[in-house]
Amino acid sequence: MDINLAIAERARAGESLTAAELDELASADLLSLGMLADEVRRSRVGDTVTYVRVFEWSASARTGSGELRRDSAEAASGREGEPVPSKAGEIRIAVVPESLAGAVAAIGNARAAAPKVLLTAFSLADIVDRAWAPLVDVLRQLKSAGLDAIAEAPIDRVADLAGALQACQDAGLAARCLSLQKPVGGARIDLLVLLQTLAARFAWVQTVAPLPREQSVAVPTTGYDDVRAVAMARLALPAVRNIQVDWAQYGPKLAQVALTFGANDVDRVSPIDDETLGRRRTAVEDVKRNIAAAGFTPVERDLPFDSQRGGASPLAQGRPQ
Amino acid sequence: MDLRSFEDRIKNGGRLSANEALTLYRHAPTHWLGRMADGVRRRKHPEPVVTYIIDRNVNYTNVCVARCNFCAFYREVGHAEGYVLGFEEIFRKIEETQALGGVQLLLQGGHNPDLPIAWYEDLFRSVKQRYPDFKLHALSPPEVLHLSRTSRLPVPQVIDRLMAAGLDSIPGGGAEILVDRVRQLLNCYGKATSDEWLEVMRHAHRAGLRTTATMMYGTVETDEERLEHLLRLRALQDETGGFTAFITWSYQPEHTERGGAEATGIEYLRTLAIARLVLDNFDNLQASWVTQGGKVGQLSLAFGANDMGSVMIEENVVRAAGAVYCMDEVEIVRNVEDAGFQPKRRNMHYDILGDPFFRERSVPRTLELATARDAGDTSVPAELVNYPARSAAGKRQRSQPPASPVA
Repeated sequence: MDINLAIAERARAGESLTAAELDELASADLLSLGMLADEVRRSRVGDTVTYVRVFEWSASARTGSGELRRDSAEAASGREGEPVPSKAGEIRIAVVPESLAGAVAAIGNARAAAPKVLLTAFSLADIVDRAWAPLVDVLRQLKSAGLDAIAEAPIDRVADLAGALQACQDAGLAARCLSLQKPVGGARIDLLVLLQTLAARFAWVQTVAPLPREQSVAVPTTGYDDVRAVAMARLALPAVRNIQVDWAQYGPKLAQVALTFGANDVDRVSPIDDETLGRRRTAVEDVKRNIAAAGFTPVERDLPFDSQRGGASPLAQGRPQ
Repeated sequence: MDLRSFEDRIKNGGRLSANEALTLYRHAPTHWLGRMADGVRRRKHPEPVVTYIIDRNVNYTNVCVARCNFCAFYREVGHAEGYVLGFEEIFRKIEETQALGGVQLLLQGGHNPDLPIAWYEDLFRSVKQRYPDFKLHALSPPEVLHLSRTSRLPVPQVIDRLMAAGLDSIPGGGAEILVDRVRQLLNCYGKATSDEWLEVMRHAHRAGLRTTATMMYGTVETDEERLEHLLRLRALQDETGGFTAFITWSYQPEHTERGGAEATGIEYLRTLAIARLVLDNFDNLQASWVTQGGKVGQLSLAFGANDMGSVMIEENVVRAAGAVYCMDEVEIVRNVEDAGFQPKRRNMHYDILGDPFFRERSVPRTLELATARDAGDTSVPAELVNYPARSAAGKRQRSQPPASPVA
């Protein structure tokens, strides 16, 4: 089905689309939807694609001590004990320790290991589930320990997400992005409307990762599902600057195609340059090559709301202080 | 670039010149190319049907003297990992394929100097005797040429003998890029020049065989050379009409002598789309999910493809070069339906055979493609002693008493 021209015009103008309009858009022909999302994306953020090189750590869930060990990729490469790669633009702690003390210690250790690198940690949903203490107090402690931002806030895992984000704001600790935990199909309108509401209330929400973190091996989401979800997120959320796709999870091919359907930010690029097969085969060169081949200009970012190291911080205005 | 004038021409079935195709390939927006290709596909296939075939991709030997530098699959003559499948092994694979609803083998292999044409004839005859309705889509043009050279028979005679033994159709493998400058750089000029590849297909079509055509891109060729490849296929199709389908895929660099990086997903979709526009006399374009993955494989259906290719069941060649994707029939059907099409089983001629097989009969899910042999299986088929070897290594091996079969 061709796209309703009136809806397309409203999307181009950056207006917030209604649930009914989103519902109609969701049934549009895939390539027409992609063309519109690409047009809106270029108008919103130009032809650059940002990417971030993430070094992942895991807090030791077994001991709950906050002791840190390298992530599996690092361990697999046999570099246990080596310092944080100099190319890392972000350190991310994925697993929440059993105790708040463990979480604080984990953050402290990571901060000590790389004092100047952006440090993000945990899913907001996991922190809420732990119920260690009033959320805002927990977040303040994590911030005091050296945390720069919560790694993500999955919109389908937190019952009162608005309340949780308010706690983030009150604690002065942003959530790096709003994400989706489980597959919901190409365009779940109610979730898009929820995102619209949250983006309107919290101006510092500037990144949405619309593709699910969990995938079934036997029944994964399809390519149509994924790029439609990306396009719909771009069109539904004019107030959100960044539509993000996870390079490590979705792989170069799908992630690259998603860039032409409205995504403008690539998450989780490896900070390790393994030049065994030549510089052209390193992770970062692969990302840059894919971004360029999709018709965009790659720009590395290493600050949560920045496009380049030491560059302007276009989103910092909305960051909670 | 005036896209509207191109739009009108393409919608009216106008033929693209080399220069026009190059302009579009290089400069047209990706979504625009996709929409044009999708329009052509819809014109050729008005019914919302996407086809696929249940067959098995069997490589009867990995021993090869061609030494293409983009190939990670082959082993030199005498190599410890070299293998030739026995007839019984192939029969077993056929029976497994039939149990999954399969109707043919895609049978290809290395240029093994120790397999004379009689080995192929005996294999084909044995298959047809045991499984009369089962089809053999076998031996790409360079393999036919290899047999022509080793048997000192002209290509038409080789094709006639293979047909008499049971060959049903010829796969379009070994085309790579049909430009001799490229073939020389890939070290595949010796196995077949561009003209030789096309000539084998010409003979096959004249003999009444239908074939597919392929293109492997992303090594050393220029954009112009990719389009020259397509134009040469288009010209032969104008002449013979013998190609049933076109399949393109990107070079898989892992573990190859050539190395390098793989072309991107966007390049694949653009190449597929431009192929749909240039190959206006080809009815069917397949999605290469085995090299692009299921997601981009499905997206191919929006960029000109009308066929999901094969369930494959087994794959050895691109796996050796690093691609490890798998789609069983359930997954192919789910992706086809998710994209808004009706999935239909077909044969090599694109005759519709029916609805998904797994909906008629319970079949096990397959989450990983099989391989030619289990790792470490170095058994030598007993029947090989019946065929003269040409290489010294082959002669020595066949002079030894047969080893006990591997359990």
